[in-house]
Amino acid sequence: MTARLEEPPRAVAPPAKRWASTSGKTPSVGAIARTTVLIVGAIIVVAPLVWAGLSSFKSQAELAAQPPTLYPHDFTFDNYTTGLAAFDFPRYLLNSVTVTVAATLLTLLINSMAAYALAKYNFRGRDLLFLITLSAIMIPLQVILLPIYQVVSSLGMTNSLLGLIIPPAATPTGVFLLRQYMLTLPDETIEAARIDGAGEFRIFWQVVLPLCRPALAVLAIFSVIWRWNDFLWPLIVAQDESVQTLPVAIARFAGQQAIPFSQILAVSVMSIIPVVIVFLILQRHIISGLVKGAVK
Amino acid sequence: MTGPTATPKRSRITRRKLVPYLFVLPNMVIFGLFTLWPAVNGFNISFYDSGNGRTFRAVGTDNYNRILGSDEFWAVARQTIVFVVGFVVASTVLATVLALLLNGQKRGRGALSAAYFLPVVVSPVVVGLIWNAALQRQTGLVNSVVSALGFGQPAWLIDPTLALVSVILVGVWVHVGFYTMIMLSGLQSIDTSIDEAATIDGAGAWQKIRLITLPLLRPTTMVVVTLATIAGFQAFDFIFTLTGGGPVGATTLIIQYIYENGFTPPIAYGLASAAAVILFLVIFAVTFLNYLVGRRTEAM
Repeated sequence: MTARLEEPPRAVAPPAKRWASTSGKTPSVGAIARTTVLIVGAIIVVAPLVWAGLSSFKSQAELAAQPPTLYPHDFTFDNYTTGLAAFDFPRYLLNSVTVTVAATLLTLLINSMAAYALAKYNFRGRDLLFLITLSAIMIPLQVILLPIYQVVSSLGMTNSLLGLIIPPAATPTGVFLLRQYMLTLPDETIEAARIDGAGEFRIFWQVVLPLCRPALAVLAIFSVIWRWNDFLWPLIVAQDESVQTLPVAIARFAGQQAIPFSQILAVSVMSIIPVVIVFLILQRHIISGLVKGAVK
Repeated sequence: MTGPTATPKRSRITRRKLVPYLFVLPNMVIFGLFTLWPAVNGFNISFYDSGNGRTFRAVGTDNYNRILGSDEFWAVARQTIVFVVGFVVASTVLATVLALLLNGQKRGRGALSAAYFLPVVVSPVVVGLIWNAALQRQTGLVNSVVSALGFGQPAWLIDPTLALVSVILVGVWVHVGFYTMIMLSGLQSIDTSIDEAATIDGAGAWQKIRLITLPLLRPTTMVVVTLATIAGFQAFDFIFTLTGGGPVGATTLIIQYIYENGFTPPIAYGLASAAAVILFLVIFAVTFLNYLVGRRTEAM
């Protein structure tokens, strides 16, 4: 990095030209201003998260300090030990992981099956099904909350993990995304497998799905973020503590009068650490995947 | 010869015809049961009322008459519109500016992008809790900066107007990284030769942005506006833990109104379902309008 910083001035011979040049070889005033604005902006965005993380190690007294301290002056793990004693973190984590993994696998399977039929078969009703799927993309679940709840409760799926996994699984966005991708696959590959005597489902499973890996990855990222952060639907369906996911359990925990804020903070920080770590490792794939999915 | 072979052959053909239906079946059963049927039934149940969510009675258009005459509903509608407009405008403008800056930034762009994007993956419930702490009048991070700059200690979450502003700001904070990355991908797909030609013709940086980049970016901008509009109308989770809809209902938006009337006692099922239908129609109209505007600008 430092080496690259030094290099450009040597390439540009007359020093007078250095500051007038906008070719990007030497940092111009504009470039310095731009970098400064971007860094300050990034600090503003990240600051509340970092401050919350640091604050989770402050004592209760320090958390009430006016003005607030930036970093913990007497560092303590108390909030975590007392927080974990009052909040059944492992159970809610297990529920969140179960719901996220099961719902994502189910979404990938049924969405890709439907997308395959819509992309590669001619059948009566295909265009109608596609049109209905397309128009459903703009119906947010929140808007049909009451009638969905009626269906789920009449099927006896309230207060069960199934009620969190199955209803949101048939995402129209996923069907659309995968169908568009599958349209680009050559028909010859599928035809060749058919001539070799492969069954229709085997062709789908062993030929088509592996070719769709990039699109499946995009949908998987969407699904994991949707399901992991889902709040309103689990809030309604999972009223029983035993089936609550982390967001619902944390909101309930935070709503209790007797719980000090220090513990709420510690539990909140613990719940976002896995997500932040996964994001930092896979950030490039996550960002480009979500952008691709949104622009489609 | 024809007899014995014809039957299996015909059944194979019918089976072949069945295959696509079997492929769409699992998805369409779940989709039909938990999306399509509820969407249709949503209109139906808006003509019923219930005080407990179990026994229903038909009330005709009574729910609509009641909701349109309800001051509380109109307050919620007004706050929702203020939030959506503020959120959409602020996040679109900010995303455009950030994308333009990031596009010119070569060194450290990846790290900066990751920083701006980070809030997108954080659970909205936790976002609300963290910002609730950060916006506390005397113990919060925000006011320690604001008062150091000489602006005193605004009562962010106590003053009704400032509370709605806070909700908009936090909403922007959550989503702007996502919209920025969409804008950035739009910027990067713009043909650079037009830009270079303009430079040769002596166009300044601001002229190039205003006359070339922004018009070419319009389709991407429409994508962001549409996404932000839908996200704006759906906003609920981070507000639930940030303000809880308060103070005195000043930040209660439409989804919270539907949730509270439909699911928390005292239940006013009729009002909730009528509000949901109205919201559905509004989202439909706005999306359609966005689409029309988008198509017109594409034609230009």
